[in-house]
Amino acid sequence: MKIHYYSCLLAACTATAFAAEPPAMAQHDHNAMMRSQSRDWTQLPLLKPRMKGQDMSSRSYIIQPQNIAAGVVEAWSNDLDDANGHRQLSIEMGGAPLDKPATGGFQMLTAREVQSDSVRVASTVHYFGERGGKNPTAMFDQFKHELEIVPQPYPREHSRYRANEDWQFIVRFKGQPLAAQKVVLETSNGSHSEFMTDASGVVKMHVPDDFKAEEAQSKGGNHGMRRGADLVLAVSHEDGGKRYLTAFNSSYGEDAYANRSLTMGLGFMLVGMLGAAPLLRKRKAAAKNEESTNA
Amino acid sequence: MLNNLFPTLARFRFTVQIIMLFVTVYGGALLGSYTVDRISQALPSLACAYDKVTGDHCILISAQHQLHHRVGAALAKAGDVALNVFLPTLITVGVFFMFFFFLNKAFCGWVCPLGTVQEVLYKIGRRIRRPLKRFTKENVGRVRLVKWFMLLVLVLGLPTLAGMGTVANELGDPFCQVCPSRIATTLLTADTEQLAVRTGTGINFFLGALGNAMFGFIIIAALAVRQPFCRICPLLSWNALFQKLSPMRLVKKESYDKCAKCGVCEKACPMDIHEIGTAFGSKAFHEDCTLCGRCAEYCPDDDVIQLKFFGFKLFGSSRDYYKARVKHESPEGQPKKRVIPILRAKENG
Repeated sequence: MKIHYYSCLLAACTATAFAAEPPAMAQHDHNAMMRSQSRDWTQLPLLKPRMKGQDMSSRSYIIQPQNIAAGVVEAWSNDLDDANGHRQLSIEMGGAPLDKPATGGFQMLTAREVQSDSVRVASTVHYFGERGGKNPTAMFDQFKHELEIVPQPYPREHSRYRANEDWQFIVRFKGQPLAAQKVVLETSNGSHSEFMTDASGVVKMHVPDDFKAEEAQSKGGNHGMRRGADLVLAVSHEDGGKRYLTAFNSSYGEDAYANRSLTMGLGFMLVGMLGAAPLLRKRKAAAKNEESTNA
Repeated sequence: MLNNLFPTLARFRFTVQIIMLFVTVYGGALLGSYTVDRISQALPSLACAYDKVTGDHCILISAQHQLHHRVGAALAKAGDVALNVFLPTLITVGVFFMFFFFLNKAFCGWVCPLGTVQEVLYKIGRRIRRPLKRFTKENVGRVRLVKWFMLLVLVLGLPTLAGMGTVANELGDPFCQVCPSRIATTLLTADTEQLAVRTGTGINFFLGALGNAMFGFIIIAALAVRQPFCRICPLLSWNALFQKLSPMRLVKKESYDKCAKCGVCEKACPMDIHEIGTAFGSKAFHEDCTLCGRCAEYCPDDDVIQLKFFGFKLFGSSRDYYKARVKHESPEGQPKKRVIPILRAKENG
């Protein structure tokens, strides 16, 4: 069994979590204590969206920081020209209510916990399923925190992270790519894996296929997309006597071919092709006519 | 120079089709992953949302989603139907119409990736000398009804009922589940996921099996039948609802008596619109017309059939053009020169 390097780091951070709180956090310390309870599948910081309301017209989102003592959740809209694009969402009892900016689309969310010797950041992306969002690439590339994990790209609408797929991220420290940096992946299904960034700070994350067989049988999700599990990607870096830890979490789904059969798909396609095959036959009379015309 | 590059309208249209095939199938990869979120998501052609690198989405998937998630859900709560429920659907239709206004149903004939794939298959069918199967005046009416059934049931009806909770949730986007463009465009990106039939539930399996069988049928039928899926495509009927609202039109001269003896334009029409030979004026712009312009190319008389935008002639039939055109290709699309040596050798003896 692999030793959880980050778990050790996190334990040290958690021990001092409330020893020297930054001013912003001091105003919300009782809430922060409630939120900072760790979840069993990971001790890395997370931002979990919770949906309220059943249909789209009444739907709203609460962002819950987990494993991190943060006072606010910061949100970046994909519209860099919007004066309110970068906003701070106060954390109430249940979490930070996420407002939908006019442009909709992708929103980068982060929460930050600063101690005298460490900075911990949780980050995630939320997508408002509305048209009109601008290209979020510039928003993702925007400098937000010292240590960052930036999706390259993030799954667009009608897409998501899925088992057995490879997705790229760039790891940056103070805006510069971090080469040969270890990146850890943990999933709520119990997987733990490590990757290394290349010379340009890019890390390729392989999403593990760790859904249990009995889960694969269950229904749910939207348009055949199963509800999925959670993953968190984390990186740690030390600089100037401070330890920086940044995590990026998201959900992921089953393998693209789970609950699908390519063999049957090919079979039904063949049935259709055979059904159309008589159309390709030339009638003798027509063929003779054609021959005489050509002659 | 343009005349050398595009000696015929057909060559120009095919070039546009190939470019648009790249935009609608690979556009996201060429122009950036998030292009799909920015262009419209309401394109009046079958640019498939299941294609992970498409440049834009088809209006039909947006319409199904909104009927499923907004309109249907709101109708289920009687009395709770308000402007903020219908507004997103109206915006989708509005964005669609901004595109549609300029090109009208040319989206079908010039942009749709599935239309291009079928047309390429038909060209292959001509090269390998497969017979041409046409719908006659007598039986074409039956197939024309199917596109309205597809629109009313698969695009509008079932998604709304799914949103209301009256039918199973898997019927939220039933047209997409049977659409051959979903399979064709994803296969063009080397993605076989959509070819694999869903086995999760009976409904998923049934729709998947039907979609795959239809896809198999279409790709073989397209070798002998022109645009086999276009005839039953709900986007053709959807676009037909709006075709009178666009200034882009097919226009035919009123009461031109030579038409009764000719009928070449009927042979040239890939949608078997026999009315193009007998109807005049605005009636010649039929609900099945995809504005491909072949009828104008193959009309042997000057300016009898024209493609017009705001009354301005973009292309008009002419005797000289017709003479040059038929030297290379018959109205039915049969090239005059064989290009497959093995077939030529076989026929020569």
